Amino acid sequence: MLKKINLKGKTALVTGAGKGLGKACAIALAEAGARVIVISRTKKDLDKVNKIIKKTKGSSKSFVCDVTDQAAFEVVLKKINRLDILVNNAGTNRPEHFTKVKTKNMEYLTNLNMKAVFNIAQSCSKKMVKFKNRKKIGGSIVHMSSQLGKVGCEGRNVYNMNKFGVEGLARGMACELAKYNIRVNTVCPTFVETPMVKKFFKNKKFKNKMLKNIPLGRLAKESDVATAVAFLAADTSEMITGTSLVVDGGWTAR
Amino acid sequence: MTKFLKDINLKGKTALITGATKGLGRGTAIAVAQAGGNIIAIGRNQLELNTLEKTIKKLKVKYKSFNCDVNDYDKMKSFITNLKNLDILVNNAGTNIPEAFLNVKKTSLDTILNVNTKAVFNIAQLCANQIIKLKKKKASIINISSIFGLVAGQKRTVYSMTKFGVEGLTKGMALDLAKYNIRVNSVCPNIVLTPRTKKYFNDKVYNKYVKESTPLNKVVKVSDVATAVTFLASEASSMITGTSLIIDGGWTAK
Repeated sequence: MLKKINLKGKTALVTGAGKGLGKACAIALAEAGARVIVISRTKKDLDKVNKIIKKTKGSSKSFVCDVTDQAAFEVVLKKINRLDILVNNAGTNRPEHFTKVKTKNMEYLTNLNMKAVFNIAQSCSKKMVKFKNRKKIGGSIVHMSSQLGKVGCEGRNVYNMNKFGVEGLARGMACELAKYNIRVNTVCPTFVETPMVKKFFKNKKFKNKMLKNIPLGRLAKESDVATAVAFLAADTSEMITGTSLVVDGGWTAR
Repeated sequence: MTKFLKDINLKGKTALITGATKGLGRGTAIAVAQAGGNIIAIGRNQLELNTLEKTIKKLKVKYKSFNCDVNDYDKMKSFITNLKNLDILVNNAGTNIPEAFLNVKKTSLDTILNVNTKAVFNIAQLCANQIIKLKKKKASIINISSIFGLVAGQKRTVYSMTKFGVEGLTKGMALDLAKYNIRVNSVCPNIVLTPRTKKYFNDKVYNKYVKESTPLNKVVKVSDVATAVTFLASEASSMITGTSLIIDGGWTAK
């Protein structure tokens, strides 16, 4: 009765896979048996991920690509025969108080966290739809969202706007891609122990303040999030679409 | 006897309304004026701005208009930073180009993101900064969202992405601006009968779909939304911030 997170025979593409959550997701999917396509801007990071996946007897292939360069991404997609799973993970943040947000930062974040997220999802969906057995074997798209796709936070207004947008995109896509048996969901983590967050948390006062907002009293680990992503990628969640898996220690429950 | 019921009274207040010449914007301008508020109307059609002037001036309030595209950041900036009075922003201008996810054109994506996300952000930021500069003790910002800021609809992926984004922006702004006593909320109407949506409703199938999706089995009127916006603009809602007022006949309650 218990379904396992098994991705044997599936091909998964992970963006922003060089570091942090993307890297963790790529490794988790490989551990579940998927052939993983890892995308990042930095070859050195990708080489490390490939090495780790190889050590665990997994299969991976990497492509150096900036996800905001749609033409370059299309070239990468052409080199892939088949695609069953997308982990739309690449994203970033530049925290600034609302009245002080620089237009160029708003544009930068919106272009990566919304425009590229949309374009990558659309290109991958087109590829997934073409596969003749799609309806039978299904497909899964997981967008990396955030608890800040659910609630507001000081200095995070652009990131809030972007991640709420991703939540909207996921639901819209879920409606339209259901007929192809492609499911679309998001994962909404709280602050996770990643290089990006570690940088923010060098400010001890900020760290303590944020931790107070997490009822469980600890940060999420990369493995917590990667496991949630793998669960949504696999047939363990075959009836789950158009929703969010919130991994936040209770932050948004308050 | 102490009064418990607070009035929806905007006497002496000044409201800036974008997309003010048609549909929800026009209805809201009239409702705000009926509550005693002075109107600053932003629109792209001088004839319509002049027509609105006649209607508003009959209500014995001040009227000022600015013929400008909300995408024109520089023009909007020089206008807003020169305002002598500003208490309320109704961030209403928006658009939609319904297309199936797999066929969304890049030009459509850009058009909708520019108006519904980037311009909405820019106008809100400019107005918030001006309100703070004018040392207002209280103010209210209302972003016009949609049920598609909460749930998905067919051929609404980009619209949903942008309106979910507006929901995120609203909450983020509410937190950043709370210390200035500037409240920020959104309204989420169902599909309202307006000049823009008239063509949708002319389609019998669409008409049936909207009614069947709405438990109350009727179409939301402009006055329903305009009243809600005016309520949120006034001190009748002085403890409401960072939330959404849903006006949908039960659509999203299903």
